[in-house]
Amino acid sequence: MFLTRSCGALGLMAGVLTAGGSFAAEGTRIQVTGEIIDTWCYYSGVMGGPDAVRGSAHHTCALWCSAGGIPVGLLGDDGEVYMVLKIAGDDGSASGDTQLHLASHEITADGMVYERDGIKYLVVSEVVADNDITNLNHDDYGPVPSFAIPNPNK
Amino acid sequence: MKRVIAMVCLLAAPAGAQDFSQGSEAKSWNLYAEQPARFEAQVVDMLCLLSGDCPDNCGDGRRQLGLLRAADNVLVYPNKNSIPAFTGATVELLPFCGQAVEVDGLMIDDPDLGAKNIYLVQKIRAKGDADWIKANRWTKEWAKAHPEAKGKGPWFRRDPRVKAEIAREGYLGLGTEVDEPFIKELFE
Repeated sequence: MFLTRSCGALGLMAGVLTAGGSFAAEGTRIQVTGEIIDTWCYYSGVMGGPDAVRGSAHHTCALWCSAGGIPVGLLGDDGEVYMVLKIAGDDGSASGDTQLHLASHEITADGMVYERDGIKYLVVSEVVADNDITNLNHDDYGPVPSFAIPNPNK
Repeated sequence: MKRVIAMVCLLAAPAGAQDFSQGSEAKSWNLYAEQPARFEAQVVDMLCLLSGDCPDNCGDGRRQLGLLRAADNVLVYPNKNSIPAFTGATVELLPFCGQAVEVDGLMIDDPDLGAKNIYLVQKIRAKGDADWIKANRWTKEWAKAHPEAKGKGPWFRRDPRVKAEIAREGYLGLGTEVDEPFIKELFE
């Protein structure tokens, strides 16, 4: 009886603490270099393998998805995907201007990383370096998807 | 004593991951790692939940929204709505900011790519409501916000910001001078 009530109380407390978002997770300061990617195409495989849905081959689709409100991520040199929630004061993680301008770019970001339920979330305080697009893979894959570039002859 | 109670509670919890496919009517997208998933959750502002930065109304559509699953308190990330047109889930979830809802859709868990708790929401309803709402409002909301972009073809060919980016940097993002020979060869 005591144990049941105690477990219930702990469960209820967990629910209350998270419901309003007033008890934030503890973050870790990080500096990470990587490519700004379109996370849905990367995770779902809907457009092809993970190497095809990055870089110059996939740039137009990355613009569409970013403008369409699909989350962007930073695919770090460490192989981890960091879901980007804010970039240098711009909290427009759903179709925001800053992330749209950075589509497919290689950047170095300084900020805080929060990990929860198997996903890493990144709040970028500063873009330390923006190296533009460095993954030139359009000759390898062509445009991804194939209709990304309209036929100028039609 | 508290530590002992917490450990006993953990041991008493159901072992293994729960099956959220029961009762789901989600339509397949034929994705490699998709699983139907229907569950109750609270719609939350993810940046608020994680960092404590909390504006009114979940950021009024600027921010990504999450689904804090009622059964296990897992934070699910809805990446996608139900329209196959490069569109996310925030517009669909914003009317339910802070509310308890039920959702149905596809969960993506792919260890090879590090995907975990990634979700495509197909329909949503406030907890206790009888009627589902299809998660397909995005293009209608976009059209309302961009009357100047009215015309034929899909939204992504007409979006002013996308068109401006392509006009400045080209389809490959490397400059129009790189685009020109590539496009010429592509369509020869």
